[in-house]
Amino acid sequence: MSQTVFAPWNDPDETPLIRFKGVTKRFGGFTAIDDLTLDIYAREFFALLGPSGCGKTTLMRMLAGFENATEGTIELSGQNIAPIPPNKRAVNMMFQSYALFPHLSVWENIAFGLKRESTDKEAISARVEEMLRLTRLTKFAKRKPHQISGGQRQRVALARSLAKAPKLLLLDEPLGALDKKLREETQFELMDIQEKTGTTFVIVTHDQEEAMTVASRVAVMDEGRLVQVDTPDVIYEAPNSVYVADFIGDVNIIEGHATPEGERARIDWAEGQPPIWGTPRGAAGTGSGAGKVAFAIRPEKVAIAKEKPEGRRNLLEGQVIDIAYLGNSSTYHVKIADGRIFKAQTANTRRLVNRDITWEDRVWLSFTETAGVILEG
Amino acid sequence: MKRFSWFNATSLTLGFAFLYLPMIILVIYSFNESKLVTVWAGFSTKWYGELFRDQEFLDAAWVTLQVAVFSSTIATVLGTMAATVLVRAGRFAGRTLFSGMIYAPLVMPEVITGLSLLLLFIGIGLDRGIFTIVLAHTTFAMCYVSVVVSSRLTSFDQALEEAALDLGCTPFQAFRLVTLPIIAPAVISGWLLAFTLSLDDLVIASFTTGPSATTLPIKIFSAVRLGVSPEINALSTLMIGIVTIGVITASLISKRAAVAQARDERAAARTA
Ligand SMILES: Nc1ncnc2c1ncn2[C@@H]1O[C@H](COP(=O)(O)OP(=O)(O)OP(=O)(O)O)[C@@H](O)[C@H]1O
Ligand SMILES: [Mg+2]
Repeated sequence: MSQTVFAPWNDPDETPLIRFKGVTKRFGGFTAIDDLTLDIYAREFFALLGPSGCGKTTLMRMLAGFENATEGTIELSGQNIAPIPPNKRAVNMMFQSYALFPHLSVWENIAFGLKRESTDKEAISARVEEMLRLTRLTKFAKRKPHQISGGQRQRVALARSLAKAPKLLLLDEPLGALDKKLREETQFELMDIQEKTGTTFVIVTHDQEEAMTVASRVAVMDEGRLVQVDTPDVIYEAPNSVYVADFIGDVNIIEGHATPEGERARIDWAEGQPPIWGTPRGAAGTGSGAGKVAFAIRPEKVAIAKEKPEGRRNLLEGQVIDIAYLGNSSTYHVKIADGRIFKAQTANTRRLVNRDITWEDRVWLSFTETAGVILEG
Repeated sequence: MKRFSWFNATSLTLGFAFLYLPMIILVIYSFNESKLVTVWAGFSTKWYGELFRDQEFLDAAWVTLQVAVFSSTIATVLGTMAATVLVRAGRFAGRTLFSGMIYAPLVMPEVITGLSLLLLFIGIGLDRGIFTIVLAHTTFAMCYVSVVVSSRLTSFDQALEEAALDLGCTPFQAFRLVTLPIIAPAVISGWLLAFTLSLDDLVIASFTTGPSATTLPIKIFSAVRLGVSPEINALSTLMIGIVTIGVITASLISKRAAVAQARDERAAARTA
């Protein structure tokens, strides 16, 4: 059984839906978006990740038509969108602040966009009911926005932006105020909508798990620039910089000096300590495996044991100083030779009481030569 | 602790007496039988009857009403537009100058406003009458409206208008369907303010009026110069009555809105 993988970004014949070409946005002297070039393809679920103030909302506002690029062009379906006003774009946006109309009921808020393009009362009403069901707001249809909870308001905003089934939907932190269960359900709902309607989603999120779950590609931003744009697994397994590795998920980072030795690279990281062995990536990628580097490894790829394991080349000895119990897994904070803390995560396959490693224990950490990545220091 | 000390009671009485004694005297004397304002000769409502038979007063009332309605309506439209531009347009060259110029007539002595308008009307050869008073009142009332409306607009979340545009509204539709309903209370109070300002303006109206149009304040003022008549007292009592009823109605309406909102919120809390 061979299923074609959805990866239009690898197909040179595919034309992108959105093209940012050298886009810069300045607010006075402040550069919010810095010479950004990016292609987003139709039917993508594109996630924007980055720290607060890095320009995610600004990027969206340029797509929606509320800001104009200071330099560069943005194309939608091959057409420069700069001269097209927001109300003429087949783009809808869910605002970070929700921007619900306070004088209209939930029902009227959702119907607002539909009423602008059609006068067919029955069709509008059917669509609104559908949206209310989808976001579980049917009970609250008659309420005003000030009469519902924060999470319900967020769902109204989502329903309102979904109602017109636009070609491109911009969601600025759409699920932040929802509890975990509802958030997961809504994520799947969104993916489902996307399957059905073929809408392209650009979504801002602070929740990397969410980005990992829903996104076809993830862009990690920093101060108005794109640091890495890749599929979630590549972002997680093969970050291209310490910044990305550190931003997405938990990571141990060790700076050192690398010397290539055959297929592997030897990283000397502390005086009098055995070196760490890693695998350099291809010449094209960063971390050629020579010179000053940073070695990054995820805690779940580090094994922890009380006895010294046999046949492992990467071994670190240390003492458990803290254990973070996360339910399904535990993260051990281990102090190693030079006083730094190294994190190791294991699945809690046994009950807590049967756990054999505890505070103050001397333990061995081990990992394979391919478990981590070597990044430019 | 005593709630009403002797001192408190006295200052309260004095304060209210200061505010209302003149009006009370006026109301009492409007029911005076005698033609002499200062001599009480028994109760009568005859001056009210006189008033309604006095065609000059009725004409003046009609002129005043027309002027007030037209000028406050035009002033509300223009003032709201000015406020929207000044609050929204962000920074443009000369913005501070513009907003300063909008507010300048607020502190301009009325005599100067009246005189300059008079000169303008003479200059462009406009016949003075109702039309010129309407223009003059619009000019100064517009500033008040724009102050009231712009203070509301500064706290108005602009994302709401953007959301309307995003959902397919033209800028005008966005204003009409979203912004206007939300700022409506401010617009209405701007209109009421303009209306009352126009009702009781004497100075500017006397500068800009012609022989064909006399407003009530002008009429009262010129009548009083010949001596205070009980008719004037009756007229003033009527005006006090109208204002009182208006104020009470307005506060009842807003109180009712507040009660309705509280009820909705309770209902929301129950079902949530
Ligand atoms: N209208 C504006 N005028 C001046 N500076 C602005 C304006 N809008 C945004 N900025 C600045 O641009 C930068 C990017 O803002 P943006 O809203 O895009 O951040 P963000 O990535 O969405 O952050 P968050 O995650 O907190 O929502 C910020 O430093 C912000 O202060
Ligand atoms: Mg933002």
